[in-house]
Amino acid sequence: MTAFLRRLAGHVARGLAMIFVVATISFFIVRNIPGDPMLALYEKLVTSGMDPAAASQAVRVAYGFYPSGSLWEQYVDYMGGLLRLDLGTSVTNPGAPVTGVLAEASKWTVLPVLAGTLLSFLVGVIMGVYAAVRRSGRLGDILAISGSLLHGVPQYVLALLLGAIFGTTLAILPTDGTADILIEPGFTPEYIGTLIEHATLPVLTYALASYGGWILAMKSSVVTVLGDDFILAAELRGMKRSIVFRYIARNAILPLFTILAISMGLLFAGAVFIERIFNYPGLGLMLIESVTNRDYALMGGAFLLITGATIVANIAADLLYTVIDPRVRSGEEAAA
Amino acid sequence: MTSVILETSSASLRRNFWRGVWRVMKRKPSRMAGVLILIGFAFMATAGPLFYPDNLPRDVNNTYGPMTWEHPFGTDGQGKDVLAQVVTGSQYVLLSALVTALITVVLGTAIGLFSGFKRGRWDTVLMRLTDMKLTIPGLPLLLVLSTVWKFGSAVEMGLVLGLLNWGTVARAVRSQTLSLRERGFIEAARGLGLSTGHIIGKELLPTMAPYIAMNMLISVTGAVYAQVGLFFLGVLPYEADNWGVMLNLAVFGGGAMTTAAALPYLLAPLLAILLLTLGIVLVVDAMDEIFNPRLREE
Amino acid sequence: MKRLAAVVALLGIAAASACSSSGNTNKSASGGGSAVYTTIDGTKPGIDPNGPANPFAPKGNSFSGYNAMKLAWAKNHLTDPNQFYPGIAESWEVAPDNSSITIRLQPDNKWSDGKPVTAEDVKLSLAIAYTQGSTAFALQPGAAGAAAEVTVVDDKTVKVTQDMSNPSQTFARGVLDTAVVPAHVWSSVLPADIWDKIKAARGTDAAAEAARTEITELGKKIIAHNPGKDVSAGPYVLERVNPSAALLKKNPNFYNAANVAPDAVQLLNYTGNEQVWNYLKAGKLDSAPFVAVPADTMAQIKQTPGNVVVKGYSPVAVGLAFNQSKKPYDNVHVRRGLAYLINRAEVQKIASPEGGLPAVTTTGIHQKAAAEWLGAELNNLEPYAHDVAKAEAEFKAAGLTKKDGKWTLPDGKPWKVSMHAPAGFSDWLAAQENIKSQLIDNGVDAEVVTTADFPLYQTEMAEGKYDTGFWLIALGPAPYNIFQRIYGSANGWTNIAGKVTHNAPGKNGNWMGSAEEIEVEGLGKVNPGELTAKLNSVGAEEQKDLMLQLAKVANADLPVVQMWDYVNTQFQNHSRFTGFPGDDHDLLRQPHGVWIQLGMIKKKA
Repeated sequence: MTAFLRRLAGHVARGLAMIFVVATISFFIVRNIPGDPMLALYEKLVTSGMDPAAASQAVRVAYGFYPSGSLWEQYVDYMGGLLRLDLGTSVTNPGAPVTGVLAEASKWTVLPVLAGTLLSFLVGVIMGVYAAVRRSGRLGDILAISGSLLHGVPQYVLALLLGAIFGTTLAILPTDGTADILIEPGFTPEYIGTLIEHATLPVLTYALASYGGWILAMKSSVVTVLGDDFILAAELRGMKRSIVFRYIARNAILPLFTILAISMGLLFAGAVFIERIFNYPGLGLMLIESVTNRDYALMGGAFLLITGATIVANIAADLLYTVIDPRVRSGEEAAA
Repeated sequence: MTSVILETSSASLRRNFWRGVWRVMKRKPSRMAGVLILIGFAFMATAGPLFYPDNLPRDVNNTYGPMTWEHPFGTDGQGKDVLAQVVTGSQYVLLSALVTALITVVLGTAIGLFSGFKRGRWDTVLMRLTDMKLTIPGLPLLLVLSTVWKFGSAVEMGLVLGLLNWGTVARAVRSQTLSLRERGFIEAARGLGLSTGHIIGKELLPTMAPYIAMNMLISVTGAVYAQVGLFFLGVLPYEADNWGVMLNLAVFGGGAMTTAAALPYLLAPLLAILLLTLGIVLVVDAMDEIFNPRLREE
Repeated sequence: MKRLAAVVALLGIAAASACSSSGNTNKSASGGGSAVYTTIDGTKPGIDPNGPANPFAPKGNSFSGYNAMKLAWAKNHLTDPNQFYPGIAESWEVAPDNSSITIRLQPDNKWSDGKPVTAEDVKLSLAIAYTQGSTAFALQPGAAGAAAEVTVVDDKTVKVTQDMSNPSQTFARGVLDTAVVPAHVWSSVLPADIWDKIKAARGTDAAAEAARTEITELGKKIIAHNPGKDVSAGPYVLERVNPSAALLKKNPNFYNAANVAPDAVQLLNYTGNEQVWNYLKAGKLDSAPFVAVPADTMAQIKQTPGNVVVKGYSPVAVGLAFNQSKKPYDNVHVRRGLAYLINRAEVQKIASPEGGLPAVTTTGIHQKAAAEWLGAELNNLEPYAHDVAKAEAEFKAAGLTKKDGKWTLPDGKPWKVSMHAPAGFSDWLAAQENIKSQLIDNGVDAEVVTTADFPLYQTEMAEGKYDTGFWLIALGPAPYNIFQRIYGSANGWTNIAGKVTHNAPGKNGNWMGSAEEIEVEGLGKVNPGELTAKLNSVGAEEQKDLMLQLAKVANADLPVVQMWDYVNTQFQNHSRFTGFPGDDHDLLRQPHGVWIQLGMIKKKA
């Protein structure tokens, strides 16, 4: 147990150090952005028919939201704020604290991506076992190749195809945000229904895109286990096929849990394209918009959150690995 | 005497290796197809643009034109042939991929070998660094970087992607080096008085080559898609004849997701990406089997 | 495994309810008891659930014309900037010498919480306008058309006087174009002595400087202020917001509530134009402001039952601007040659088929406004019709030579026209790609270079880094604003307190670098920057004369080649509501909430 705690403490210390490094990097990248965030709005307002004076007025005041002081003072301020979980206020939405905006956006990323991941994990693992057992047959081949293909194809290709089919051609699934505004929010079947309806395309795309990876991982894991002696022994002892199968599946799935933990960390980062294509207002879409609007405060905050989540998930995966694999648990230093 | 035996055995190993490659390729015709697809793309990127003039002819009365024999994938919003743009656009994609691959392999292999060979403090430091690179999610980092970096040319793009990408290869090479070391491979060679350079160059690298290639292909694929994706999102400066820009213009300019007219314009680069993925997947499948004989069920 | 089955069953139920619920909404949207008007707000950079109900916040959920009100709605008339539709103000009276404006409020208007709209609300809103630095409420000493005194005449009347040391024709517009917020909600944001501070700030001493800084700080506070629940004096009040839309419910206390037909308005969010196209194709929007639409999508949108496309005047044009500090663009013959060489009709057809008209010539004025300002004189200007022979003659006159079918600089070096545009401005990029092809076809080498985003584009442009680039011009209706785009600060002339000074090219943001005085046939030597500055203060007749002179200068000297004039193409769906404004109606330039609050929009029987 002490070994476990020591391990945990080491991980936490390293994780914090990494977050510090990432925060520093992102601070300096973001402060070096040339140009002026609010000017982008001006020409947009003017082409849409707004009076130029009114447009420049709307734009001018936001200058004030620039941080003052030397770069070093700004850095100290930023880091100090970080300790209090204060990431400053948004540039394009003055007055809104970045943490609040991030929390709102994360909600729309975490839930759909979580649903997509679990769905694909479930289906992928089952298919992966088949692909491994039938790996010399045609079915196994098709499963493996299709898995590799889905795994290899970039998310935006899948999202564009699904969007074109279900969103526009058949027009049976919405691609416009999170919920129908006319339905009163609340714990009612109507509201939950509209939430699910709007989340279907993002979840489906995410599931399809990650499903291939699970097939491949499960297949190779099963293949490894198949070669293990205890399976051979069990078969020789004439145990029932279904029991052998359960042996295989149980042992093969263990390493996948660590991958699952890591992919939980990528939850935050995983949906940039999907959210853009389906106009789903999560962290990814927010990151793109903060990049195009040059809202450095939001951009830095989102990047930090995404990276922080990945670091935490990596620590969790490593600890999970400790729990699952007895060799590591005994305190022996694992190959880093 | 013993050195001669090792030499000949490694030579015959190599011959056997190529024979093994041929056998693996032959067993599934799909793998041959994969190789052909990749060769096709390489040809397209190198020789393809020669078939077209620098400034593609345009027809302003045929914008977002339908698929015809003359324009197999229709025309774009300027009335230019879409297929021609996919062909000329492959140059940017594959050139940046080549640069990425080069950097990934050189940096990744060097760091992986060094780390696995030296072990100790250097290993710890390097692997911490690699860990950190692997932990920072690539696409968000690229998005943030795009605000300060201009990614002017294909080479510059490849450079950045390569520098962000060597982590996986380094990790893989290191663990291979460690495992070869455990098997006494390196100690044996040392005992024979072979120099480190010889051990690495003649013994380790050839054995690991397909493994490195496989990991490189996978990570380069990711890099290529990230690059096309950044153009698609429109966060990078526009570049004429680029797959990502084509996707962007088709969806956000031509309305490919709304009406059918610009659909061929969207589909052409999508199909190119799908085909390229298929080629890589099939080749990786073959490499996987060459390297990991356990998968070779007889 | 049982648990899994439960999850699957749950998902099934959810999916079923999703289907049924979507059926329900369709019904309630089309028929049923309440009429919901669906549209988008083109002036907001996206709908944000975190935005406060604050009309000054860039992402605030106060939507102009719906739950945010102005004193009056400027018509953006072709030539007269001082025409309005009533808003919070029922009527107004401008003194004959333009020295003051007296505003009478709607007698029966109440805020959505039941309190009456009074002159005190307006006075507080004008104080806020000072903190926001809007045109009539500028704090810089000597700014043109600034307000001097705000007096509450009675409960429903306010009088604003102009500082006559530097008066402006657009004073009334500056005053009436002010957002009005409830004093009983907002008064806490401003200190009690705000008017003393404003008075102090209008001086020239050090104390004034300090007061100005203080007021600017207040401005930031106001932008970031969250007043809590929406209190609106407009036809609607904010009900709720989610990331996809904002829902506004009818405000029964609105003065014209009896004639406001839709019971609710939903304003849909959009991340990109393609989302608006999908809404339009589905017939979901009752109206939509201008968005660029590709031709085929336009055809599909027109086919949707009830959809109508309406076109009106949009007071803006785009031109290819030259940096005259760079060779060979310092030579007027090169600029003229390019004007002859570029086929503007083709450019517009490719870049903005539904949202533009090819420029008839370069005047610096939108062609519709130009017809009003210049009359028959417009036809006497050089049209620069597409003519390759004339272009070659001009190039030769500039000393360029043609070698192996390619034009080279007089010193024999190769010439490449490098055009810049910000990434994401897809119509500009399409136009430049087309121009590039046209130029290359005629032996002029060309390239298109993009800058990552607009702010950077503007910064680099001001630093003089580009040879040529696209630039918005002709921002009407105020004549000064129109020419300020080409003979203003971007071209070296700064106008502080009515005094015009000229900066050398490359200094203080002068990237266009025209000569300070230009010799024009029939006019002699003129200083276009000074002429432009005069537009602010002179009477109507003299304005007309100045506009003609400036159009002649722009036409002869070509600091920009005017490419196309924007057309305000809008969309309406007549199947649920009627009474929409038609082609060329000046209300097309208003937020659509103004149509509703004026009582034009009726439920379809």
